[in-house]
Amino acid sequence: MRRQIALLGVVILICYVALFVRFNQIQVFQADALNERTDNTRQLQRDFNEPRGSIITADGALAAYSEERRATLRYQRIYPEADLLSAVTGFYSFNLGSSGVERSYNDELAGRTTALKLRELTGFFSDVSSEGDVILTVRKDLQQVARDSLGDRQGAVVAIDPRDGSILSMWSWPPFDPNQLSTNDSTAAEAAKRFLDAVPQKPLLIRAYQDNYFPGSTFKIVTAAAGLESRTVTTAAPDYPVVTSYTPPLTTSAISNFGGSSCGGTLIVITARSCNSSFAQMAVEQTGPEPMIAAAERVGFNDIPPIDLPDAATSIYPVDFGDVVERPPGLAPVYSDAPRLAQTAIGQNDVRATPLQMALVAAGVANDGDVLAPHVMAEIRARDGSVVERYEPRVWRQAFSPTDAATLRQAMIGVVTDGTAQNMAIPGFEVGAKTGTAQLGTTPPRSHGWMIAFGGRPGEVPTVAVAVIVENLPGASSETGGSTAGPVARAVLSAALGAG
Amino acid sequence: MTATAPPTPAEPLPNVVAIGTRRRTTELGLLLLCSIIVVGAYALASLGRNASLPADILPFLGVILVLVVAAHLAVRRWARCSDALVLPIVALLNGLGFVFIARLDDQLAGLQATWTAVGIAAFILTLVLVRDVRILQRYRYTFGLIGVALLLLPLLPVFGQNINGARIWVAFGPVSFQPGEFAKIALAIFFAGYLVERREVLSVATFKVGRLNTPDPRQFGPVLLAWGVSLLVVIFERDLGSALLFFLLFLVTLWVATGRAAYVLIGFALFAVGAFVSWTQFSHVQDRVSIWLDPWVDPAGTGYQVIQAAYALAWGGTAGVGPGLGIVERIPFDETDFIVAIIGEELGLLGTTAVLVAFLLLAGSGLRIAKGAGATFGTLLAVGLTSLIAFQAFIIMAGVTRLLPLTGVTLPFVSYGGSSLVANYVLVALLLRISDQSIRRARNPVAAL
Repeated sequence: MRRQIALLGVVILICYVALFVRFNQIQVFQADALNERTDNTRQLQRDFNEPRGSIITADGALAAYSEERRATLRYQRIYPEADLLSAVTGFYSFNLGSSGVERSYNDELAGRTTALKLRELTGFFSDVSSEGDVILTVRKDLQQVARDSLGDRQGAVVAIDPRDGSILSMWSWPPFDPNQLSTNDSTAAEAAKRFLDAVPQKPLLIRAYQDNYFPGSTFKIVTAAAGLESRTVTTAAPDYPVVTSYTPPLTTSAISNFGGSSCGGTLIVITARSCNSSFAQMAVEQTGPEPMIAAAERVGFNDIPPIDLPDAATSIYPVDFGDVVERPPGLAPVYSDAPRLAQTAIGQNDVRATPLQMALVAAGVANDGDVLAPHVMAEIRARDGSVVERYEPRVWRQAFSPTDAATLRQAMIGVVTDGTAQNMAIPGFEVGAKTGTAQLGTTPPRSHGWMIAFGGRPGEVPTVAVAVIVENLPGASSETGGSTAGPVARAVLSAALGAG
Repeated sequence: MTATAPPTPAEPLPNVVAIGTRRRTTELGLLLLCSIIVVGAYALASLGRNASLPADILPFLGVILVLVVAAHLAVRRWARCSDALVLPIVALLNGLGFVFIARLDDQLAGLQATWTAVGIAAFILTLVLVRDVRILQRYRYTFGLIGVALLLLPLLPVFGQNINGARIWVAFGPVSFQPGEFAKIALAIFFAGYLVERREVLSVATFKVGRLNTPDPRQFGPVLLAWGVSLLVVIFERDLGSALLFFLLFLVTLWVATGRAAYVLIGFALFAVGAFVSWTQFSHVQDRVSIWLDPWVDPAGTGYQVIQAAYALAWGGTAGVGPGLGIVERIPFDETDFIVAIIGEELGLLGTTAVLVAFLLLAGSGLRIAKGAGATFGTLLAVGLTSLIAFQAFIIMAGVTRLLPLTGVTLPFVSYGGSSLVANYVLVALLLRISDQSIRRARNPVAAL
């Protein structure tokens, strides 16, 4: 009997060791995997039962805060400005997840970062909670200007400070009201989500940085940069012929200027007048594919922009133009895809850019060629108001050399003084701009109207860069971009500059 | 021994007194330590939940001390030489369970406190009534009948209650209880009494099957009976956990009594057949197995409980989120079958390991008591009772962690439940009685005659 009892003890021991191993598996080795499963809402539920920091605009307006409720979920997220700041704040829902700042700064808002936790520890015996407030770079007044001037037209507005990458305004139409998605009544939230998903214009897609479009003529700034960087184009030469159209090699379809007008000249002139023929010819005959690809990528194409918001779209420039088929003397080699290259030079064909990316092009030109990482967070504050973390501006891309940037700046200022964007002029400020009318290739013709611009005190580094797109307009004339997107861009720029 | 008159049982030898005193001092010290741990956990859980010390902390401490000291004094008076570890471990498990029940549901906490008092009363009463464990042996068949009757009681049309899909409850007016919890003890007594008598016959291999010597097949009757009763429980009461427990109880007792592995092999073969047939015939058995294999097939439905338990355990991690700070109300039956998941969430791997170690120590003490009892009825009874607690705790924790298919039984002493608590206190009292007697007999052989 003694032997059996001893053996029984071993059997029981084995059973419990197996349990111990299993507990280790679940609680230690698989714990992270289990915690991160999408159907595991523990983290979320904890977050909804604890206070959450507010989101506050640069000019002190409350964009989002949490209100205590006597309910299963103790906190309800409230967005006092309804749809005005939804492109930045996003929503915060128990059953639908979150977006925008609510998602990218979730740890800060919930008070889970090391810096915030440390503060909580120092106040261990007092009743300090660790949630942090996110102070935005975005200004409520500029949001209102952007909303009012764009009106009920599909499109987007981005305004940025070229010197540090601060996003001053980001507006997208149609917008959505985050209160509807963030309600703790999950049935109502789901119904709101279903409704928004069914709207053809997709309000939940933040057009300003989550979708990309033909940039049209605004891309000519990049083409010009390619010409300057490859040392094949200067302000003096070449002097492009004044023609109505340019026919690239290996094709018979010509690239025409708007309205069949004649257009040509040196860099400053062709930029001011937005000559399609000249820029197409520049890409094919002066730069060739490699400098074009290099210039586009140096300003941020083909890369996810390092914005502190989730799901940013990548702007695209093609990277393959076939093989060299001909080497004409004194000109760039001709590639088999030369017709396509010519079209990309004016922002058509396979080029796609987010409004954010085009704002960064203007910002890079304004800021001596350096593109700073765009961001919406200015600082994180603890509940007592002290600053826990400040956004450190950093250079994302050295897009242009300072001299080339100066040339491009001069060219864009020329667009306002003598060219297609004369409606952008703001008295007392130096403004540079570039219009764009991106043809969608439809019949009857439709187009996106674009305007990119920068402005500042004369002789100083410009303090604001903007990009505006008004989507899917009827017609496609040279005026389309300037006359539709232009007034919106001017309104936002002038408000941001404080020019009355 | 010398020619002098042997001391009577009423006046034990001085060395027995010394052992008893030493053990009781140890027990009292450990009990006070347990009380401190439990009161500390209770205070922490309240701090975690309400950010304030519980208002009833002093009365709580008082009640604990009264209960613990009452049990201790009863042992000191009526089972002075018994094992010193058993009662402190039980007190710790019971106290820890209470802290978590109180943290989950105030109303249940009040009931559980009452049941604990009743349990300790039953513990003392058992020590008082069962002065010699051999009395139980005398009534083995009575206990056998009582056991089977208790087991089948829920099947009665009027009294039997179908709760949560299992028909294991009996209601007499407002009072309802699970007779299966008491049936366990009655059957353990019956098995021990029956087998200690038959072990000689059962362990002799007289029957030849080919080249194998096995005991006379007629002697397999009781094995088949136990198997049959277990199957009955599975089929009609849908209580897989208890069925498995009864079967294990009988198999273990039989094997320890006879020392013949053949019984274990045959037993497991029968179990396999029974399990397979149940699986093919009964949807509730199939459900359990498919949830066990992959609960994520239906995460919001059948798999919900097990998945949420895994999430709770994972959420706890190594050190736990802290008493009172877990996210509760997500696991159905978190105060009974799944309480270890809540302990794992709030106390982490450290907490679950502590529970495992506590049960392992309890099992170890039980087996040591069995070993110390020589080769008697007491030994087999101690083996049976110990196996009941050790395997019941194993079955439910293995179910919660998906080591085995989930079968709903309580975690002894920890889970909420009056029947379980009172029955387990009676069980522990019997263990202490066996322990006490074997010490007295070993040190005082004459008195044992």
